Order: sequence, then C-alpha cells, then structure tokens
Amino acid sequence: MDASIQFAFGEPSALLGGSSGPLDEPMEAEEFIPEFKQAENGLLVEREETAQEELLRITQDEEMIDFGESTLLNESSIFESDSTIRVDTESQPHTNPSANSQSQDDPELPDVRDLLQPYKKTTPAPEAANPPSALPSYRSPFSIRATTFDGRSVYIRKKPKKFSMPSTSASRRERVAGLLDIPIHRLMDEISLNEARRISREESQPEVEASQSTESALWVDRYRPQRYIDLLGDDRLHRDVMSWVKEWDYCVFGKKKGKKRARDEENLDEYHRPKEKILLISGPPGLGKTTLAHIVAKQAGYNIFEVNASDARSAQIVDERIRPALESGATVGSSKPTLLVVDEIDGATGGTDSSAGFIQKLVQLTYDRPKKKVKRGEPQTHRPLLRPIVCICNDLYASALVKLRPIARIVRFNRPNDYRLVNRLREICEIEGLRAQSRALTTLVGLAQGDLRGCLNTLQLIKARNEEVTEAVVRGATAGMKESEVSQTAVLNDLFAPLSHRRAKELGLGEEDLARYVNRLSHTVEASGATDRIATGCFEHYATLRRHDASFARYLSAGEWLTTYDVFSGEMRAEREYALLQYLPYLLVPFYPLFQERGLPKVERPTADWENFKQKRVNEEVYKSLSKCLLTAGTRHGGAFRHFAIDGVLQLEFAPMINRIISPPLRPVNKQVVKPEERATLTRLVDIMVALELRFVQERAEDGQLMYRLDPPVDAFVTYDGKRAADITVSRYATRHLVAAEIDAQLITKQAEAMDRPKAIAHAFFGDGDPDEPVGGEGKLMAADPIARATKRARHEQVLEEKVPTDFFGRPILAKKTSANKPASRSAKPPPPPKPAVSYRFNEGNSAAVRKPVKVSAFL
Amino acid sequence: MSLWVDCYRPKSLDELHYHDGLSARLRSLAASGDFPHMLFYGPSGAGKKTRIACTLKELFGKGVEKLKIDQRVFLTPSRRKLDVNVVQSNFHLEITPSEVGNYDRVVIQELLKEIAQTQQVDINARHRFKVVVINEADSLSRDAQAALRRTMEKYMSNMRIILCANSTSKLIAPIKSRCLLVRVAAPTEEEMVTVMKHVASRQNFRIDDESVIQEIAQDAEGNLRKALLVFEALKMQTGSLTGPITIAKPDWETYCHKVGDMIVQEQSPQRVMDVRTKLYELLSHCIPPTVILKTIAARVCEKVDESLKPEIMHWAAVYEVRMRVGNKKIFHLEAWVVKVMSLYKHFFYGIDMGSFD
Repeated sequence: MDASIQFAFGEPSALLGGSSGPLDEPMEAEEFIPEFKQAENGLLVEREETAQEELLRITQDEEMIDFGESTLLNESSIFESDSTIRVDTESQPHTNPSANSQSQDDPELPDVRDLLQPYKKTTPAPEAANPPSALPSYRSPFSIRATTFDGRSVYIRKKPKKFSMPSTSASRRERVAGLLDIPIHRLMDEISLNEARRISREESQPEVEASQSTESALWVDRYRPQRYIDLLGDDRLHRDVMSWVKEWDYCVFGKKKGKKRARDEENLDEYHRPKEKILLISGPPGLGKTTLAHIVAKQAGYNIFEVNASDARSAQIVDERIRPALESGATVGSSKPTLLVVDEIDGATGGTDSSAGFIQKLVQLTYDRPKKKVKRGEPQTHRPLLRPIVCICNDLYASALVKLRPIARIVRFNRPNDYRLVNRLREICEIEGLRAQSRALTTLVGLAQGDLRGCLNTLQLIKARNEEVTEAVVRGATAGMKESEVSQTAVLNDLFAPLSHRRAKELGLGEEDLARYVNRLSHTVEASGATDRIATGCFEHYATLRRHDASFARYLSAGEWLTTYDVFSGEMRAEREYALLQYLPYLLVPFYPLFQERGLPKVERPTADWENFKQKRVNEEVYKSLSKCLLTAGTRHGGAFRHFAIDGVLQLEFAPMINRIISPPLRPVNKQVVKPEERATLTRLVDIMVALELRFVQERAEDGQLMYRLDPPVDAFVTYDGKRAADITVSRYATRHLVAAEIDAQLITKQAEAMDRPKAIAHAFFGDGDPDEPVGGEGKLMAADPIARATKRARHEQVLEEKVPTDFFGRPILAKKTSANKPASRSAKPPPPPKPAVSYRFNEGNSAAVRKPVKVSAFL
Repeated sequence: MSLWVDCYRPKSLDELHYHDGLSARLRSLAASGDFPHMLFYGPSGAGKKTRIACTLKELFGKGVEKLKIDQRVFLTPSRRKLDVNVVQSNFHLEITPSEVGNYDRVVIQELLKEIAQTQQVDINARHRFKVVVINEADSLSRDAQAALRRTMEKYMSNMRIILCANSTSKLIAPIKSRCLLVRVAAPTEEEMVTVMKHVASRQNFRIDDESVIQEIAQDAEGNLRKALLVFEALKMQTGSLTGPITIAKPDWETYCHKVGDMIVQEQSPQRVMDVRTKLYELLSHCIPPTVILKTIAARVCEKVDESLKPEIMHWAAVYEVRMRVGNKKIFHLEAWVVKVMSLYKHFFYGIDMGSFD
C-alpha cells in the first residue's frame, strides 16, 4: 500500500466533528490498529477494530455470504493491493447495490452469518458506535463514502449494528423464511465463485509486477507469497501457527475475542498469554517456514524482529537487543508491537551445556520478570515477556534445542502435496514465459523432495540458459541438489536394498545407470557424514541376512572390506593422514553387490555396538576402582599389591582368581560354633579382604530383601552371559553376613591398635612391617586378647631395636640418655647396646605430636 | 596377611629360587658401583619385577623398601590433566607411563627431567644416582621412547633407568643399545613346584598330593604369579588340596574355549552371529582383543586337523596385525572367525563350495 490511493472520506470534518485526526491521513490496514488504540475516541477504535476483524475473517476463513461483505472484501483488497485502477473498476459495480441493499437488510444480516458460521465470533458493534446524531441525515448510517482519484465515489460499509432488540417469535419466523429464499448450496457456490475470482485476480498480480520489476530479482523473492492466502502447503498447519499468534491478541492488543471457547480461556495464563510462549516451527529447508512466520506476523499486525544465523547469537544479545526490541518495538516510528522471529535456531549455541547460552537465555526470558520500568502502558514495576516469539529450525532434535522443546509449542512442517507444487510451478512458468512440460515439473518436484525454493532456483537457472523445461534439462540442472541430510538408516537401507522403482524414476535412472552403483552409493555414504557409523551398521546388519552362503564367500569378502576399512580409518587417525578420508566411502559400497536384496526388512539402527560400548565402560569403571583399591591397599602395606594393578595382569590373572580366593565354601553358622578348620579359612578370608580393601556392603535389593554386595563389584569379571562361573560357590547372605561382621570386627581392632601405637602404623605405611609376622595371624581375630597383643608388641620392639635409629639428617642417634652428652657420631655403625636386657623405643619419624612421657626407670 | 603371591615374594637376591646365575650376576653388578641402564625382559609372571626389586635392595639397602605412593598430576600441551601414580622411595621411583596412553611422552619428559636435574640429597645413600623403574616399557609410544633416549645419556650421572618389558621388539634400537639387556626366562615346571612347596612350608601345611601342584604348574605355562594365585584359590576352595581337583581356569579363558568349540562345531551365518555376541561379551569384560584372538586360535587349533593348523594360525596373525592398526576390534575378530569357518568347511567337504552359490 502506498500513497497512490487516497481515501477521501466524505466531508470528514463535518462527518466526525472535531475528533477526526487519524482518518484524515492515507493509511494502511495494519496501521489502523495501534493508531486507533491510542486515540481516545471510543467510537473510532471500535469501528476500526471491527474492520480489522472482518478482514481477518475474510482472509482466514474465506467465506462470505452477502454483498455487504463483498464490499468489505474490496476494501481489504484496496488496503493491500497497490493498484488503483483495479479497485475502481472492480469495486464499483458491487458497491452500489450493496450500499443500497444494506439499508434494508441490515438487521438480519448478522444472524445469517451466525447461522452459517456458528463458531465465528462477531463483535457486536456497540450502539454508541454510530450515534445517529453525529451523522448527517442524508447518508445511510451504515456506509462511508470514499472518493477515488478520478473522483468516483465508493461506498464502504461500516460494521453493521447488531441491535439486541427483543424479537418476537413472529419476526424470527419471518427472518427464517427470508433466509431460505436462496438455497444454501447456491450461497456456497457464490462464495466459492467470489473466492475463485479473487484468487485469480491476486495471482495475476505478480505478472504485472514481474513485467515491471527488474529481471535480476530472484524468482524465489519474486514469487514469495505476500499474503496468508497465497501460502501453499498444509492449510491446517498454517492455521495452527495463525491461531497461536492470535492467542496473544488479548495480551498484546488487549482485546478479547467475541466468542471464545472455554478451552481457549484455560490456555491463557495470568497475563493472558498462551501457555507456550514460544512457537517452534521445524521442517526441512525450502518449504516456506520463514515465509509463513513472516506472513502470519504481518497478518496479525506485528512488526517482525528477526534474528538469524547471520547475527551474533550469544546470551548477551538477548539482553542487549532482543529484550528492548520486544518491549519497545524495533523500528523507530512504527507503533506496531514486535514479534520476534528466531530463524535457524538449531544452529544457536548453548542449548545443552553452558547455562549462559543463547537458548537458555531465551527460555529464561519467557519465565522471568524483568525489573525494568516499562515506558508504555500502565506503570508496572515488573513486566514479563508480553510478545510472541517464533523460532524456526530444520532439525527439531538438534541438541541445542533440548531446553527449548519442552516449553515450546511445536509445529512440524511437512512436504506439501506434489501436485500443488507442480501447479504453482506451472503458473510461474507461464508467467515467466517458460515452456515447461508438466512431467518435467513433476520430476523436478520429486528430485527436490518438496523444496520449493530449490525448484524455483532451478527453473530460473533453466530460464537463464534459455532452455525449455524438459526432463533431461531438469536432471542436468539438479545434479547434486539434495544430497545432504541423509540419515544413517537411510544410507544403510540404500546399501542393503536396491533402489525402489519409484525412487529410481524420480532420480531418472535407467537400467544401465542402476547397474553403475559405485558412484551413487559412495556419494550417499559420504553425504551421511558418519562413515564410521555406517560401517558399524553394515557390520551389524550383514550377518543377520540369512542368505545361503555355502563357502562363506560373501561373508569373507564382507569381512575383508570391513577390516580394510578399519585399517584405513585407523591409519588415518593415527598418522593424521586425512587424505585417506576420501577413500573410506568406497570401502563400504561393496556391501551393495554382496548383500542387496529386494523385500528385506528395513535396516534398523545399529545398537549392539553401542550396548557393548556401554557395558565395557561399566566394567572399565569396576577395573579402575579395583586397581585404585589395590593401590590404596598397597600404600598401607608398603606397596604390596601394586604389581597387580597393571592392565593385563589385573584382568587376565588377578580378577578371576581373587574371586575364587574370596569365596571359600563356608557354612553359614554362628560364629561361636564354627569348626576350627573353618575358622582358619574364615580368618584367612577376612585377612585377605581387609588387606585388599574388599568389603561386603549391605544393601536392599529391589524386592526389599537385604543382600550383601561386594565392593568394588569384582564378581563382574566371573560373570559371563549373566551367569557366574560354575566352580565358584555361591556365597549366601548368611555367609556374607558372617564375613562382613568379622571384617568389621577386625577393622575396629585395627583402629584400636592404631590408637594404641601410632608408630606401628607409621611402620606399616612405610612398608617395613616385619616380614616374619605370621600371615594367617590367628592373633588378629583374637586381638582383643591382651596377651597376644603384648607378645606381638614385644616382638615388634625387638625388631626395631636392631634397626639403627637416625635423625632427620640421617645421622644415627643413640638413646637419648647417651646422646645427650656425646656428640653425634657419624659412623654408620651404632655402638652395641650396653645391656641386652634394656630395650628402648625411639619415637621415629618426624611427628612430634604423639610423643609420650617415659620415665627413666623404663630404660633401666 | 595378604595374598601369598605378595607376602612370599623374595625380598633379596639371596631368596630367589631360580635363575641363580642371573642372581649372581645382578649381585656383582650391584656391588661393582658402576651400574648401567638395564632392560629386564621376559614373559609375564617370570619374576622380572621381583628381580628388579631385589637388585635395588642390593644396591641401596633396606631403604628402598620404604615406599610411598604419590599421585602426580601432569598437564598435556592441550591442558588436559593426567594422573600418574608414582611409587617412590628415597632412592628410586617406579612409574607406569602406559597408564596415560598416548600422553606417556609428557610423563617421561617432565618426570625424568625433574629427577635427573636434582641430585641425591641423602648423604648416606650408597650411590649418587637415583634409579627410575619404568614398567611396561614395551607399550611406550614412539614419541616417549624418543624422549627417553637423550635423557638416558645426558643425565647418566644422576639417574639410571631400569626398563621392564615383555618383549624387546617394540623398543626402538637406540634404547636397546643404551641398556644392559637382562632376560628373565619363565621358570620351568620343577622350579614352580619348588616355589609352591616353599610357600606351603612357610604356610605350615603339607602337600599330600604332589600331582596337584604339578598340574597347577603345568597349567600356568611358566607364569608363576598365575600359578600361585591358582594355588591359593584352590587352597581356599578345597582346604586340603587332595582328591580330584579341577584346576581353576580364569573365566575368560573358559569362555574363549567355548567360542573356539562353537566355531568348530558348526559353520553357518547363524553361528557367526552367535559367536559375535560371545565376542562382544568378552570385549566388554575388558579382555584385550589380541588375547581373545590368541586364546581362541589356540583352542581351535587343538580341535582341528593337523593340516589346517598352520593356516589358522597364519590368519590369526594376519588379523592381529590389522587389529592393532584399526579401532574396531570386533571387525577383525569376526573376519577371522569367518575365515576359519570357511577354511574348515572347505577342508571338511574337500571340494570347492563356491559353485554351490
């Protein structure tokens, strides 16, 4: 809409008195809304809103029933089109009769509409809308006269009033009788006729434009749909989007829809926003997602603020640009509310990991209540997000969108019907004067897999070469067009099943082309971008095919190719020879001649390898914890077990054997009645487990039963196929309970001993615990016995005595008594103790914290 | 109070039970005061580490037994953190660089330089140098070995290196030439029996049935550690070590044998799938794929005709080489299985089956 149309409302000042401001200007349909909102004149607001409602209804529901409405239709087309001439010629014949008839029919009209469209809301025009006193008496109160450039007058119907006059039963019957004058099917025919006429008119419009506009423009831009009704594709989907945007109306424009279902009300929150504050449109490229978002936003009266991949998308952008834009409008001078379109959002960062990522911030925006003081509206201290956000992505399951998916309303774009695309392409070809066979166009759509943008670009390319659109040309032009975005399973299916006839036809491959598969398949494999996973898929699938293979010839070569593949890729990674990468796809192609067969079940996503990987990780963890265990046990026993904690030994020798060592056949009986030989075994077992830091941990199983679990769970290594080795006795709960109790007892004893003689611990730590110590130490279990402990200690002291005590600098130290008056001798040989009967203890080590006062008599 | 393997590990050169000639040589080396870099090699469980420990004790005295275990953190150039366990005494330290896989070069460079540049501070130490024991030297990456060779020469006065490896084939020649190579052969069965008897006497029980330990020794195939572990396991499980006793085999070995049997029993696509699940199970238990391949191949060879054996082993070797280069071990394992099945079938029917397809 530009200034080429001048609406001259008939004597505006006389008509509307003093309050005529906005109507004097030339205006666009969309601009009515905000401007009138600002206006204080309630009359004007109401009137313009109804006009807008009408407009919406027309475009959205495409149903009209009376002449009065058809006038309005013209009005809407005036508002939206750029052509003055057409309006004049077209609207004139309709306008006059309608204007005349309206005055008589008016009271009945709204009811007819209601009958036909029970779910549509009609905003009742309040009676105050057109106070009769304010209007000149010579005009019908329901139409406005407008003058076009050439001076002809056009009557534009105003919103018909719906008087709620108490109607008698008689009058209603009268009305019904009047209604049935025209049969409903005829009414419907008329509607569709009108519609068709309108569509054809609008579609002819680009032609005019095309002839005028420069040839350089891309067809994609030239034929981009301008209006809601131009949209191709799934109507329901468009409506979904539209209705979501319309749900915001109450919040954004502050108006209520007239008739509303209860469901709609429920969906709104405290700020009258829909529950999902973000709309996420997903679908393959070229289907018109961006276009849809733009058109819907425009149609609903929003200004669009677009953020796409070309803009920086970081968390701070949300604060710096998006939030202000949403709150105050993006463009200066425009008073329309803003709708945020985030295009290509699957490329945005920070969905999963960083908490400060763009998407995370966007999601936050929908929740939080910024503390900013708002400029517009009522003074509120906190203001939540009050504008709709539309996000567009290709891959709905991109990892970046993890956070967004649960809170957004999701609309999935599908490929539109082929024939509609073909029709559209044909029209465009006609307009552009390009001769096109419709078979060629069908092929083109098939090749492009619904990508209208790709189709248009191809057509333009063909046009630029001054060629005709034939199948051959189309194939030549689309070579390599849709190669990306092949899923892994699709590639596997291509490898294991011959091309379906339909797809072959789509691709235009003849018999001999089909026979030449290497290029085609290697391209497919390469395009998938994950050759490794394809290889795993091949590996997993080929053996499931029960094909007769007497000499294993096929299997052999399959194995050969796979190992070659693995050697190549391994070499490539190890030596960083990425030049090898280009050969990898070819090594997987041979599966096609080897195993392809028609009618096989579809290849499923390979899982076994992943399962194995997960299981391996679990077991690796166990190994790690076991070796850690051994190392810490080693620190306590002077590095004793460190030789087991080495890779090969741990898995191959230690793990299987330790399981046998710690599961001797023990009867689950009370500790007091254990037989002596069994007691020896038990003691030994407890010793080993304590030394190796293996424990039985009590746990409650899923069924509520108590059980003892070995920690770390080394029994995983004797469990193959979910079964334990046969030669290992199953240790029962009672047995394990007995062992666990013994272990605890020993640990407590040890602790007590440690408190008793800190030195001994120091010794154990440094690893020169005397080797003569009995290994099966029965003394351990009975350690509470003071005699046993005493003898033990005595022996310990003897051992220590033989050792040369040295001070921090390595100088030998004599007993305190003697060294006090003698200078420290440097000789390595200590003087022999004066009397064999005297023993002393030297508090070795550097810890002064546990020094004990000893009487001199103790040394004598 | 710990496992027999550990607590009856000889602590000095005099206590060693076998390879007396080697012990004598080590003793004289330690006494000479001029100690070279050394490389101990030999099969697993032969006693390399025991001998290293004994030699160290001979060199430095009792002080080497005062061990502490540290966890050191190294930073790779790419800022990744590596944890390495370092076992050390005042006179030596032990590292296992293969713990950190490909980054072993960083450990070698940083740790060795650090040690090499500090002198022994203990005045009473018998030698001015420290000894660094590098375990699993044959799994050192090429870079790490290259990093080692110059250090070995340059810091000879402060540091001696003892390498411990299963085989010398993966060590680069410059390293081998800088070391005194000491081969520690696997003990014979008689020697192992002696050791086990010694353990029994120390443990105060009598072995009534000699055949049991004979059998254990036979089964261990020169791996004394394994023999002692099995010995202890049997003792724990049966108590008296008499009567008919089956020698406990490690579970993975039993499982590998099962797989070998499956291959010989039937050759069909279905069987290939069955074998595959078993192989996955083995791999998920962290059994090294080369060991799997070797064990299964040995088992299959036991079962098949003499004329097939060389070929089966040949292919096992071929696939093992490829496996070491590649990443997906299962591909190679299965390729070998299919190969063996095909060979076996071909042999069994004696005709070329190709024409039946």
